[in-house]
Amino acid sequence: MVLSRISAELLSRDWYCLIHSYLAMHIPDGFLNLPVIIMTWIITIGLIAVALNKVEAEYQDRTVSLMGVCAAFIFAAQMINFPIPGGTSGHLLGGTLAGVLLGPWAGTLVMSTVFIVQGVVFQDGGITVMGANIFNMGLIGTFGGYYLFSAIRNQVGKNKLSGMVTGTAIAAWFSVVIAATACAIELGLSGTVPLPIALAAMTGWHILIGIGEALISTVTVTFIWRTRPDLFYHPPVKSKSRIQN
Amino acid sequence: MVLLHIGAFHLDIDSQHQTFWHSLTPQTRLLCAMLLLLAIVVTPNGHWLTWGVYAIAILAVLLVSKITLVVLIQRLAVEFGFVGVILLGTLFREGGEVLWEWGVLKVTTTGLTILGSVTLKSLLSLILLNILTLTTSIPALLQALVILKMPPLLVAILASMYRYIDVLIAEFNSMYRAAVSRNLLNHRRWQRLVLGNAIGSLFIRTYERGERVHQAMLARGYQGLPPIQKLPTVRQRDVVILTLTLLFALFGQIIYFI
Repeated sequence: MVLSRISAELLSRDWYCLIHSYLAMHIPDGFLNLPVIIMTWIITIGLIAVALNKVEAEYQDRTVSLMGVCAAFIFAAQMINFPIPGGTSGHLLGGTLAGVLLGPWAGTLVMSTVFIVQGVVFQDGGITVMGANIFNMGLIGTFGGYYLFSAIRNQVGKNKLSGMVTGTAIAAWFSVVIAATACAIELGLSGTVPLPIALAAMTGWHILIGIGEALISTVTVTFIWRTRPDLFYHPPVKSKSRIQN
Repeated sequence: MVLLHIGAFHLDIDSQHQTFWHSLTPQTRLLCAMLLLLAIVVTPNGHWLTWGVYAIAILAVLLVSKITLVVLIQRLAVEFGFVGVILLGTLFREGGEVLWEWGVLKVTTTGLTILGSVTLKSLLSLILLNILTLTTSIPALLQALVILKMPPLLVAILASMYRYIDVLIAEFNSMYRAAVSRNLLNHRRWQRLVLGNAIGSLFIRTYERGERVHQAMLARGYQGLPPIQKLPTVRQRDVVILTLTLLFALFGQIIYFI
């Protein structure tokens, strides 16, 4: 357990790429073929356009400041390494967490922003395949994750902590595993990696990573529930805040 | 448990040189890089000559822009690490002649072709993008994106995010230090709990910071979109270079049909 503070900018940037890339599923340039690139870009551009409109309508002139800091929050949270049951360590992808906290549209926009900055500034994930990366982790991970969470939360109990926790845990695990599967299918469709190998490697590995994602997301959501439940996209009706205003 | 600290980002260490490449406007540099990148990526597997042609172009930019080679190589070495992991998967497949066999693992000519092609594609793309980010500052890149008709709202969000990454990482580092100094991170199971709570706390602080930033922006006369800065003038050389890049990209593609 070492807190390594590497102050030289270059070194820290490289270390960031190193630990980050091994664990996340950011596809680099050159791994997807043209049809897959075009398909995923079309979906992604449509998604971002709709998300921008929805978010601007909802947050109005708060859009830039709030979405900016929230994207920086997800970026910072993704850099925190934590132990996964089984011995290794992993980090948060944060799609479902963003969805639970900010709602499907703002969550998707924030995640897309994170991927754009990671791709352009850190070369973590390619530029031509950014459509696919946003599709996997923004659309499937965040949008899909939010609606799965929402369905489970409504079943278990909308205003109960148990509903929140169950929904978050299940949605977080599924969003990571399904996003990894989508990534494997894209690699397979492009003819880069044979589909069975891609599926076995990506999905198999992320079944483990997903457990870590679910645990951390759950703890985070529980903390916010206990301290500032009003910050959730759908805050519980009966506030259980311990802080008396 | 390793926690990393990114200092204030200063990625564009070679952006102050006075060369021909630097005299082009940022949007021209961005467009040229994107054109060439697209051409590299869509080239079918096994077209070695095409990538050879593009490599010459990249080498030319590399020499003209006078970037620090050591830094470029360091960055490439790290960024290529991940590529290497996926690359192994491309090798073992059916098709073509079998060159080497060990149990179920087979190395065939098709596998080798795909491995070589994908390696070359990602390597060339990474060199190209690193040249771009080494020579162009992030504010200049963001401005280029606005000029190239990316929605200004999205660019404003990107700029705002870029500005606060360092602040939030510093904020988390201070929370982490507080937890360590109270011996809260000694046990693996506790680590998850403490770090999860810290992330939750970071979100609350982030949200409140967002509200404060918004009020500060309003106090300074913000009306929904940041003011447009003075745009760099497009000169003749920008148009010429852009046309040349386009022709060059096409030339690389048709080389196999001549």
